[in-house]
Amino acid sequence: MRHVDRLIMDAVQEERTWLGSRRGFLAGGAKLAAGGALAVAGVAAAPKLARLNAYAQDFESDVDVLNYALTLEHLEYAFYRDGIGLFTFGSDAFGFSIDEFLAVIRDHEGAHVATLTDVITQLGGEPVVEGAYNFADAYASVEGFLATAAALENTGVSAYDGAGASIESPDLLTAAGTIVAVEARHASYLNLLNGELPFPAAFEEPLSPDEVLEIAAPFLATAATPEA
Amino acid sequence: MRSATIPTQTSRRGVLRGGAVAGGGALALALAGTGIKIRGAAAQDGTPVADSPFDAPVDVINYALTLEHLEATFYREGLEQFDDAAFEAAGFQGGEGGVREYIAEIAEHEAEHVEVLTGVVEDLGGDPVVEAEYDFGYQEGDLTGFLTVAAALENTGVDAYTGAAQYLIEEDDLLTAALTIHGVEARHAAYLNILTGTSPFPDAVDAPLTPDEVLAIAGPFIVADEAVEDEDDEATPEA
Repeated sequence: MRHVDRLIMDAVQEERTWLGSRRGFLAGGAKLAAGGALAVAGVAAAPKLARLNAYAQDFESDVDVLNYALTLEHLEYAFYRDGIGLFTFGSDAFGFSIDEFLAVIRDHEGAHVATLTDVITQLGGEPVVEGAYNFADAYASVEGFLATAAALENTGVSAYDGAGASIESPDLLTAAGTIVAVEARHASYLNLLNGELPFPAAFEEPLSPDEVLEIAAPFLATAATPEA
Repeated sequence: MRSATIPTQTSRRGVLRGGAVAGGGALALALAGTGIKIRGAAAQDGTPVADSPFDAPVDVINYALTLEHLEATFYREGLEQFDDAAFEAAGFQGGEGGVREYIAEIAEHEAEHVEVLTGVVEDLGGDPVVEAEYDFGYQEGDLTGFLTVAAALENTGVDAYTGAAQYLIEEDDLLTAALTIHGVEARHAAYLNILTGTSPFPDAVDAPLTPDEVLAIAGPFIVADEAVEDEDDEATPEA
Protein backbone atom coordinates (compact mmCIF):
# COMPACT_ATOMS: atom_id res chain seq x y z
CA MET A 1 0.00 0.00 0.00
CA ARG A 2 1.27 3.39 -0.95
CA HIS A 3 2.00 6.07 1.52
CA VAL A 4 -0.78 8.52 2.02
CA ASP A 5 1.24 11.55 1.09
CA ARG A 6 2.26 9.83 -2.11
CA LEU A 7 -1.35 9.18 -2.87
CA ILE A 8 -2.17 12.80 -2.36
CA MET A 9 0.76 13.97 -4.38
CA ASP A 10 -0.38 11.70 -7.19
CA ALA A 11 -3.74 13.38 -7.10
CA VAL A 12 -2.09 16.76 -7.18
CA GLN A 13 0.14 15.62 -10.00
CA GLU A 14 -2.85 14.51 -12.01
CA GLU A 15 -4.36 17.88 -11.41
CA ARG A 16 -1.25 19.53 -12.76
CA THR A 17 -1.06 17.35 -15.80
CA TRP A 18 -4.60 18.24 -16.59
CA LEU A 19 -3.87 21.90 -16.04
CA GLY A 20 -0.81 21.62 -18.22
CA SER A 21 -2.71 20.15 -21.11
CA ARG A 22 -5.34 22.82 -20.85
CA ARG A 23 -2.69 25.42 -20.75
CA GLY A 24 -1.30 24.13 -24.01
CA PHE A 25 -4.75 24.55 -25.40
CA LEU A 26 -4.83 28.16 -24.31
CA ALA A 27 -1.32 28.91 -25.44
CA GLY A 28 -2.17 27.44 -28.80
CA GLY A 29 -4.49 30.36 -29.12
CA ALA A 30 -7.48 28.21 -29.84
CA LYS A 31 -10.45 30.50 -29.94
CA LEU A 32 -12.69 29.76 -27.05
CA ALA A 33 -15.89 28.13 -28.07
CA ALA A 34 -18.41 30.84 -28.66
CA GLY A 35 -21.71 31.00 -26.98
CA GLY A 36 -22.67 31.34 -23.40
CA ALA A 37 -20.77 32.29 -20.39
CA LEU A 38 -18.75 29.16 -20.57
CA ALA A 39 -16.90 30.05 -23.48
CA VAL A 40 -15.19 30.69 -20.18
CA ALA A 41 -14.50 27.09 -21.01
CA GLY A 42 -10.93 28.22 -21.35
CA VAL A 43 -10.91 28.90 -17.67
CA ALA A 44 -12.31 25.72 -16.26
CA ALA A 45 -12.85 22.77 -18.50
CA ALA A 46 -16.47 22.69 -19.52
CA PRO A 47 -17.31 19.13 -18.53
CA LYS A 48 -15.82 19.63 -15.12
CA LEU A 49 -17.69 22.87 -14.61
CA ALA A 50 -20.91 21.29 -15.68
CA ARG A 51 -20.36 18.58 -13.11
CA LEU A 52 -19.46 21.08 -10.43
CA ASN A 53 -22.46 23.20 -11.08
CA ALA A 54 -24.64 20.13 -11.15
CA TYR A 55 -23.17 19.15 -7.83
CA ALA A 56 -24.06 22.54 -6.49
CA GLN A 57 -27.64 21.35 -6.42
CA ASP A 58 -26.60 18.82 -3.78
CA PHE A 59 -25.72 21.41 -1.20
CA GLU A 60 -29.03 22.12 0.42
CA SER A 61 -28.00 25.36 2.03
CA ASP A 62 -25.14 27.73 2.62
CA VAL A 63 -24.68 26.02 5.99
CA ASP A 64 -23.93 22.80 4.12
CA VAL A 65 -21.27 24.53 2.06
CA LEU A 66 -19.76 26.12 5.15
CA ASN A 67 -19.71 22.80 6.97
CA TYR A 68 -17.93 21.29 4.01
CA ALA A 69 -15.31 24.04 4.24
CA LEU A 70 -15.14 23.61 8.00
CA THR A 71 -14.46 19.89 7.58
CA LEU A 72 -11.36 20.72 5.56
CA GLU A 73 -10.24 23.47 7.91
CA HIS A 74 -10.47 21.07 10.86
CA LEU A 75 -8.30 18.62 8.96
CA GLU A 76 -5.71 21.27 8.14
CA TYR A 77 -5.62 22.77 11.60
CA ALA A 78 -5.21 19.39 13.31
CA PHE A 79 -2.49 18.46 10.84
CA TYR A 80 -0.36 21.49 11.69
CA ARG A 81 -1.21 21.62 15.37
CA ASP A 82 -0.16 18.03 16.02
CA GLY A 83 2.66 17.89 13.51
CA ILE A 84 4.83 20.96 13.48
CA GLY A 85 6.32 20.27 16.90
CA LEU A 86 7.73 17.00 15.63
CA PHE A 87 10.31 18.64 13.41
CA THR A 88 12.77 21.47 13.19
CA PHE A 89 12.49 22.88 9.72
CA GLY A 90 15.12 25.58 9.71
CA SER A 91 15.23 28.39 7.18
CA ASP A 92 13.87 28.58 3.67
CA ALA A 93 15.86 29.67 0.63
CA PHE A 94 15.06 33.30 1.37
CA GLY A 95 16.21 33.24 4.96
CA PHE A 96 12.80 33.07 6.58
CA SER A 97 12.16 30.67 9.43
CA ILE A 98 10.03 27.83 8.09
CA ASP A 99 9.04 26.92 11.63
CA GLU A 100 7.66 30.39 12.20
CA PHE A 101 5.75 30.46 8.94
CA LEU A 102 4.26 27.02 9.62
CA ALA A 103 3.12 28.26 13.01
CA VAL A 104 1.48 31.22 11.28
CA ILE A 105 -0.26 28.88 8.86
CA ARG A 106 -1.44 26.75 11.79
CA ASP A 107 -2.87 29.83 13.46
CA HIS A 108 -4.63 30.85 10.25
CA GLU A 109 -6.28 27.46 9.98
CA GLY A 110 -7.29 27.70 13.62
CA ALA A 111 -8.83 31.10 12.93
CA HIS A 112 -10.69 29.69 9.94
CA VAL A 113 -12.08 26.88 12.09
CA ALA A 114 -13.21 29.34 14.76
CA THR A 115 -14.78 31.73 12.26
CA LEU A 116 -16.63 29.09 10.26
CA THR A 117 -17.86 27.40 13.45
CA ASP A 118 -19.15 30.72 14.69
CA VAL A 119 -20.85 31.63 11.41
CA ILE A 120 -22.55 28.23 11.12
CA THR A 121 -23.79 28.54 14.69
CA GLN A 122 -25.12 32.02 14.02
CA LEU A 123 -26.96 30.70 10.99
CA GLY A 124 -28.67 28.13 13.21
CA GLY A 125 -26.68 25.23 11.83
CA GLU A 126 -24.71 22.55 13.57
CA PRO A 127 -20.99 22.97 12.95
CA VAL A 128 -19.05 19.80 12.28
CA VAL A 129 -16.51 19.08 14.98
CA GLU A 130 -12.96 17.92 14.71
CA GLY A 131 -12.63 14.28 13.75
CA ALA A 132 -10.00 11.69 14.48
CA TYR A 133 -7.32 11.79 11.83
CA ASN A 134 -4.51 9.59 10.76
CA PHE A 135 -1.41 11.50 9.80
CA ALA A 136 1.06 8.77 10.75
CA ASP A 137 2.62 8.56 7.31
CA ALA A 138 2.76 12.30 6.86
CA TYR A 139 4.45 12.67 10.22
CA ALA A 140 7.12 10.09 9.40
CA SER A 141 9.50 12.56 7.82
CA VAL A 142 10.03 16.25 7.15
CA GLU A 143 9.59 15.58 3.46
CA GLY A 144 6.35 13.72 4.04
CA PHE A 145 5.06 16.47 6.26
CA LEU A 146 5.79 19.26 3.79
CA ALA A 147 4.47 17.30 0.83
CA THR A 148 1.25 16.55 2.68
CA ALA A 149 0.93 20.15 3.82
CA ALA A 150 1.23 21.33 0.23
CA ALA A 151 -1.29 18.75 -0.95
CA LEU A 152 -3.79 19.76 1.72
CA GLU A 153 -3.45 23.46 0.89
CA ASN A 154 -3.66 22.98 -2.86
CA THR A 155 -6.68 20.74 -2.42
CA GLY A 156 -8.23 23.30 -0.09
CA VAL A 157 -8.02 25.97 -2.77
CA SER A 158 -9.64 23.67 -5.32
CA ALA A 159 -12.36 22.77 -2.83
CA TYR A 160 -13.31 26.38 -2.13
CA ASP A 161 -13.19 27.23 -5.82
CA GLY A 162 -15.43 24.30 -6.63
CA ALA A 163 -17.95 25.14 -3.94
CA GLY A 164 -18.01 28.93 -4.32
CA ALA A 165 -20.79 28.94 -6.88
CA SER A 166 -22.98 26.98 -4.47
CA ILE A 167 -23.07 29.80 -1.97
CA GLU A 168 -26.19 31.92 -2.17
CA SER A 169 -25.41 34.71 0.24
CA PRO A 170 -23.15 37.47 -1.14
CA ASP A 171 -21.81 38.01 2.38
CA LEU A 172 -20.84 34.41 2.85
CA LEU A 173 -19.35 34.25 -0.62
CA THR A 174 -17.12 37.20 0.22
CA ALA A 175 -16.17 35.58 3.51
CA ALA A 176 -15.23 32.38 1.71
CA GLY A 177 -13.21 34.47 -0.73
CA THR A 178 -11.22 36.03 2.07
CA ILE A 179 -10.30 32.55 3.30
CA VAL A 180 -9.52 30.83 -0.01
CA ALA A 181 -7.08 33.59 -0.93
CA VAL A 182 -5.10 32.77 2.19
CA GLU A 183 -5.22 29.05 1.42
CA ALA A 184 -3.75 29.89 -1.98
CA ARG A 185 -1.00 31.92 -0.31
CA HIS A 186 -0.21 28.95 1.94
CA ALA A 187 -0.21 26.63 -1.08
CA SER A 188 2.17 28.96 -2.91
CA TYR A 189 4.67 28.97 -0.06
CA LEU A 190 4.45 25.24 0.56
CA ASN A 191 4.97 24.50 -3.11
CA LEU A 192 8.07 26.65 -2.92
CA LEU A 193 9.34 24.66 0.07
CA ASN A 194 8.77 21.46 -1.87
CA GLY A 195 10.79 22.73 -4.80
CA GLU A 196 7.66 23.11 -6.90
CA LEU A 197 6.44 26.10 -8.81
CA PRO A 198 4.37 28.16 -6.35
CA PHE A 199 1.85 28.87 -9.12
CA PRO A 200 1.73 25.79 -11.36
CA ALA A 201 -0.89 27.13 -13.77
CA ALA A 202 -2.62 30.34 -14.80
CA PHE A 203 -5.88 29.04 -13.34
CA GLU A 204 -6.78 27.02 -10.27
CA GLU A 205 -8.63 23.80 -10.80
CA PRO A 206 -11.97 23.70 -9.03
CA LEU A 207 -12.77 20.30 -7.53
CA SER A 208 -16.14 18.85 -6.59
CA PRO A 209 -16.78 17.71 -3.00
CA ASP A 210 -16.62 14.11 -4.21
CA GLU A 211 -13.17 14.64 -5.61
CA VAL A 212 -12.00 16.50 -2.53
CA LEU A 213 -13.31 13.94 -0.09
CA GLU A 214 -11.66 11.20 -2.07
CA ILE A 215 -8.34 12.99 -1.59
CA ALA A 216 -8.98 13.70 2.08
CA ALA A 217 -10.48 10.33 2.94
CA PRO A 218 -7.21 8.57 3.79
CA PHE A 219 -6.70 11.04 6.63
CA LEU A 220 -10.09 10.52 8.16
CA ALA A 221 -9.55 7.80 10.72
CA THR A 222 -13.12 8.00 11.78
CA ALA A 223 -15.85 9.71 9.91
CA ALA A 224 -16.59 13.10 11.31
CA THR A 225 -17.45 14.20 7.85
CA PRO A 226 -20.83 15.54 6.87
CA GLU A 227 -22.70 13.81 4.12
CA ALA A 228 -21.28 16.33 1.68
CA MET B 1 15.34 24.43 -3.48
CA ARG B 2 16.15 27.87 -4.57
CA SER B 3 18.65 30.10 -3.01
CA ALA B 4 18.42 33.80 -3.02
CA THR B 5 18.81 36.63 -0.63
CA ILE B 6 16.50 39.47 0.13
CA PRO B 7 18.20 42.64 -1.02
CA THR B 8 16.05 44.93 1.01
CA GLN B 9 13.19 45.00 3.43
CA THR B 10 10.21 46.80 2.09
CA SER B 11 6.66 47.09 3.24
CA ARG B 12 4.06 46.85 0.54
CA ARG B 13 1.44 47.82 3.05
CA GLY B 14 2.95 51.23 3.33
CA VAL B 15 3.09 51.66 -0.40
CA LEU B 16 -0.38 50.38 -0.85
CA ARG B 17 -2.54 51.42 1.98
CA GLY B 18 -0.98 54.80 2.36
CA GLY B 19 -1.28 55.08 -1.38
CA ALA B 20 -1.93 58.16 -3.37
CA VAL B 21 -5.54 58.62 -4.27
CA ALA B 22 -4.93 61.51 -6.61
CA GLY B 23 -4.81 59.55 -9.81
CA GLY B 24 -7.93 57.58 -9.11
CA GLY B 25 -9.83 59.72 -11.54
CA ALA B 26 -7.75 58.43 -14.40
CA LEU B 27 -8.93 54.89 -14.03
CA ALA B 28 -12.45 56.03 -13.34
CA LEU B 29 -12.29 57.91 -16.61
CA ALA B 30 -10.81 54.93 -18.32
CA LEU B 31 -13.55 52.74 -17.00
CA ALA B 32 -16.22 55.24 -17.95
CA GLY B 33 -14.89 55.19 -21.47
CA THR B 34 -15.43 51.49 -21.67
CA GLY B 35 -18.89 51.46 -20.26
CA ILE B 36 -18.03 50.13 -16.84
CA LYS B 37 -20.19 51.73 -14.24
CA ILE B 38 -18.81 52.24 -10.80
CA ARG B 39 -21.61 53.68 -8.81
CA GLY B 40 -19.70 54.41 -5.67
CA ALA B 41 -18.31 52.70 -2.67
CA ALA B 42 -19.74 49.25 -2.32
CA ALA B 43 -20.63 48.21 1.17
CA GLN B 44 -18.73 45.23 2.50
CA ASP B 45 -21.62 44.03 4.56
CA GLY B 46 -23.87 42.02 2.40
CA THR B 47 -24.50 44.19 -0.58
CA PRO B 48 -26.95 42.21 -2.66
CA VAL B 49 -26.27 42.00 -6.35
CA ALA B 50 -29.19 44.31 -6.86
CA ASP B 51 -27.03 47.02 -5.29
CA SER B 52 -23.96 46.09 -7.26
CA PRO B 53 -21.76 48.97 -8.32
CA PHE B 54 -21.67 47.22 -11.68
CA ASP B 55 -24.49 47.40 -14.17
CA ALA B 56 -23.99 43.90 -15.49
CA PRO B 57 -21.78 40.83 -15.06
CA VAL B 58 -19.83 41.86 -18.14
CA ASP B 59 -18.81 45.03 -16.30
CA VAL B 60 -17.38 42.95 -13.46
CA ILE B 61 -15.32 41.01 -15.97
CA ASN B 62 -14.14 44.22 -17.63
CA TYR B 63 -13.15 45.51 -14.22
CA ALA B 64 -11.04 42.40 -13.70
CA LEU B 65 -9.66 42.75 -17.22
CA THR B 66 -8.59 46.33 -16.48
CA LEU B 67 -6.44 45.05 -13.63
CA GLU B 68 -5.10 42.12 -15.64
CA HIS B 69 -4.01 44.48 -18.44
CA LEU B 70 -2.21 46.57 -15.87
CA GLU B 71 -0.40 43.54 -14.51
CA ALA B 72 0.37 41.95 -17.88
CA THR B 73 1.90 45.16 -19.22
CA PHE B 74 3.80 45.72 -16.01
CA TYR B 75 5.55 42.35 -16.20
CA ARG B 76 6.10 42.45 -19.95
CA GLU B 77 7.86 45.81 -19.70
CA GLY B 78 9.75 44.81 -16.57
CA LEU B 79 11.11 41.64 -18.11
CA GLU B 80 12.32 43.65 -21.10
CA GLN B 81 14.23 45.83 -18.72
CA PHE B 82 15.62 43.34 -16.21
CA ASP B 83 17.63 40.42 -17.51
CA ASP B 84 18.91 37.51 -15.51
CA ALA B 85 22.09 39.39 -14.63
CA ALA B 86 20.02 42.18 -13.11
CA PHE B 87 18.33 39.69 -10.82
CA GLU B 88 21.63 38.14 -9.86
CA ALA B 89 23.12 41.56 -9.22
CA ALA B 90 20.28 42.19 -6.80
CA GLY B 91 21.17 39.02 -4.92
CA PHE B 92 18.57 36.70 -6.38
CA GLN B 93 19.18 33.28 -7.82
CA GLY B 94 19.49 33.38 -11.58
CA GLY B 95 19.27 30.81 -14.28
CA GLU B 96 16.93 27.87 -14.47
CA GLY B 97 14.51 27.86 -11.57
CA GLY B 98 15.71 31.33 -10.69
CA VAL B 99 13.67 34.32 -9.67
CA ARG B 100 13.45 35.88 -13.13
CA GLU B 101 12.11 32.62 -14.51
CA TYR B 102 9.38 32.62 -11.88
CA ILE B 103 8.54 36.23 -12.66
CA ALA B 104 8.30 35.26 -16.32
CA GLU B 105 5.86 32.53 -15.33
CA ILE B 106 3.74 35.12 -13.55
CA ALA B 107 3.91 37.36 -16.63
CA GLU B 108 2.61 34.50 -18.72
CA HIS B 109 -0.28 33.93 -16.33
CA GLU B 110 -1.32 37.56 -16.50
CA ALA B 111 -1.19 37.49 -20.29
CA GLU B 112 -3.39 34.40 -20.25
CA HIS B 113 -5.83 36.09 -17.90
CA VAL B 114 -6.04 39.03 -20.31
CA GLU B 115 -6.63 36.72 -23.24
CA VAL B 116 -9.29 34.67 -21.54
CA LEU B 117 -11.15 37.58 -19.95
CA THR B 118 -11.11 39.47 -23.25
CA GLY B 119 -12.73 36.43 -24.85
CA VAL B 120 -15.30 36.23 -22.10
CA VAL B 121 -16.30 39.88 -22.45
CA GLU B 122 -16.66 39.41 -26.19
CA ASP B 123 -18.72 36.30 -25.71
CA LEU B 124 -20.98 38.21 -23.38
CA GLY B 125 -21.51 40.78 -26.12
CA GLY B 126 -19.45 43.45 -24.39
CA ASP B 127 -16.57 45.66 -25.40
CA PRO B 128 -13.38 44.42 -23.76
CA VAL B 129 -11.21 47.13 -22.23
CA VAL B 130 -7.89 47.41 -24.01
CA GLU B 131 -4.39 47.98 -22.77
CA ALA B 132 -3.73 51.56 -21.70
CA GLU B 133 -0.57 53.58 -21.23
CA TYR B 134 0.91 53.20 -17.79
CA ASP B 135 3.50 54.70 -15.52
CA PHE B 136 4.45 52.19 -12.88
CA GLY B 137 6.45 54.64 -10.90
CA TYR B 138 9.72 52.79 -10.37
CA GLN B 139 13.01 54.20 -11.61
CA GLU B 140 14.65 52.61 -14.61
CA GLY B 141 16.95 49.84 -13.49
CA ASP B 142 15.46 49.72 -10.00
CA LEU B 143 14.65 46.05 -9.61
CA THR B 144 13.69 46.44 -5.99
CA GLY B 145 11.22 49.14 -6.96
CA PHE B 146 9.86 46.89 -9.69
CA LEU B 147 9.31 44.02 -7.24
CA THR B 148 7.70 46.33 -4.70
CA VAL B 149 5.18 47.52 -7.29
CA ALA B 150 4.67 43.91 -8.39
CA ALA B 151 3.77 42.90 -4.85
CA ALA B 152 1.43 45.88 -4.54
CA LEU B 153 -0.34 45.02 -7.80
CA GLU B 154 -0.76 41.35 -6.91
CA ASN B 155 -2.00 41.96 -3.40
CA THR B 156 -4.43 44.56 -4.68
CA GLY B 157 -5.56 42.17 -7.39
CA VAL B 158 -6.40 39.48 -4.86
CA ASP B 159 -8.44 41.87 -2.78
CA ALA B 160 -10.17 43.25 -5.86
CA TYR B 161 -11.34 39.79 -6.89
CA THR B 162 -12.36 39.00 -3.31
CA GLY B 163 -14.44 42.17 -3.22
CA ALA B 164 -16.03 41.74 -6.64
CA ALA B 165 -16.85 38.02 -6.56
CA GLN B 166 -20.18 38.71 -4.86
CA TYR B 167 -21.36 40.63 -7.92
CA LEU B 168 -21.12 37.44 -9.96
CA ILE B 169 -23.17 35.43 -7.51
CA GLU B 170 -25.97 34.94 -10.01
CA GLU B 171 -23.55 33.74 -12.70
CA ASP B 172 -22.19 30.43 -11.48
CA ASP B 173 -19.82 29.84 -14.38
CA LEU B 174 -18.40 33.35 -14.38
CA LEU B 175 -18.01 33.21 -10.62
CA THR B 176 -16.15 29.92 -10.70
CA ALA B 177 -13.96 31.25 -13.49
CA ALA B 178 -13.16 34.38 -11.50
CA LEU B 179 -12.33 32.28 -8.45
CA THR B 180 -9.85 30.19 -10.42
CA ILE B 181 -8.00 33.40 -11.29
CA HIS B 182 -8.33 34.82 -7.78
CA GLY B 183 -6.39 31.91 -6.29
CA VAL B 184 -3.54 32.31 -8.75
CA GLU B 185 -3.24 36.02 -7.99
CA ALA B 186 -2.96 35.08 -4.33
CA ARG B 187 -0.19 32.62 -5.14
CA HIS B 188 1.66 35.36 -7.03
CA ALA B 189 1.14 37.78 -4.16
CA ALA B 190 2.57 35.33 -1.63
CA TYR B 191 5.71 34.81 -3.71
CA LEU B 192 6.24 38.51 -4.34
CA ASN B 193 5.79 39.23 -0.66
CA ILE B 194 8.66 36.85 -0.01
CA LEU B 195 10.82 38.55 -2.63
CA THR B 196 10.12 41.90 -1.01
CA GLY B 197 10.91 40.60 2.45
CA THR B 198 7.45 40.38 3.97
CA SER B 199 5.22 37.53 5.07
CA PRO B 200 3.61 35.64 2.19
CA PHE B 201 0.40 35.45 4.22
CA PRO B 202 0.14 38.50 6.47
CA ASP B 203 -3.35 37.77 7.79
CA ALA B 204 -5.70 34.86 8.38
CA VAL B 205 -8.08 36.41 5.87
CA ASP B 206 -7.54 38.62 2.82
CA ALA B 207 -9.74 41.66 3.27
CA PRO B 208 -11.85 42.50 0.22
CA LEU B 209 -11.44 45.86 -1.51
CA THR B 210 -14.30 47.75 -3.12
CA PRO B 211 -13.94 48.90 -6.73
CA ASP B 212 -13.50 52.45 -5.46
CA GLU B 213 -10.67 51.42 -3.19
CA VAL B 214 -9.02 49.52 -6.00
CA LEU B 215 -9.34 52.51 -8.30
CA ALA B 216 -7.65 54.69 -5.73
CA ILE B 217 -4.69 52.32 -5.68
CA ALA B 218 -4.45 51.41 -9.36
CA GLY B 219 -5.51 54.71 -10.87
CA PRO B 220 -2.17 56.47 -10.43
CA PHE B 221 -0.53 53.88 -12.69
CA ILE B 222 -2.75 54.72 -15.64
CA VAL B 223 -1.58 57.79 -17.54
CA ALA B 224 -3.64 57.49 -20.68
CA ASP B 225 -6.31 55.28 -22.02
CA GLU B 226 -7.36 55.16 -25.62
CA ALA B 227 -10.80 54.31 -24.49
CA VAL B 228 -11.15 57.70 -22.82
CA GLU B 229 -11.31 59.36 -26.21
CA ASP B 230 -13.97 56.96 -27.28
CA GLU B 231 -17.18 58.25 -25.78
CA ASP B 232 -19.13 55.28 -26.98
CA ASP B 233 -20.80 54.03 -23.85
CA GLU B 234 -23.43 52.06 -25.61
CA ALA B 235 -21.36 49.06 -26.58
CA THR B 236 -21.83 47.46 -23.22
CA PRO B 237 -25.26 46.01 -22.72
CA GLU B 238 -27.12 47.20 -19.69
CA ALA B 239 -28.34 44.66 -17.21
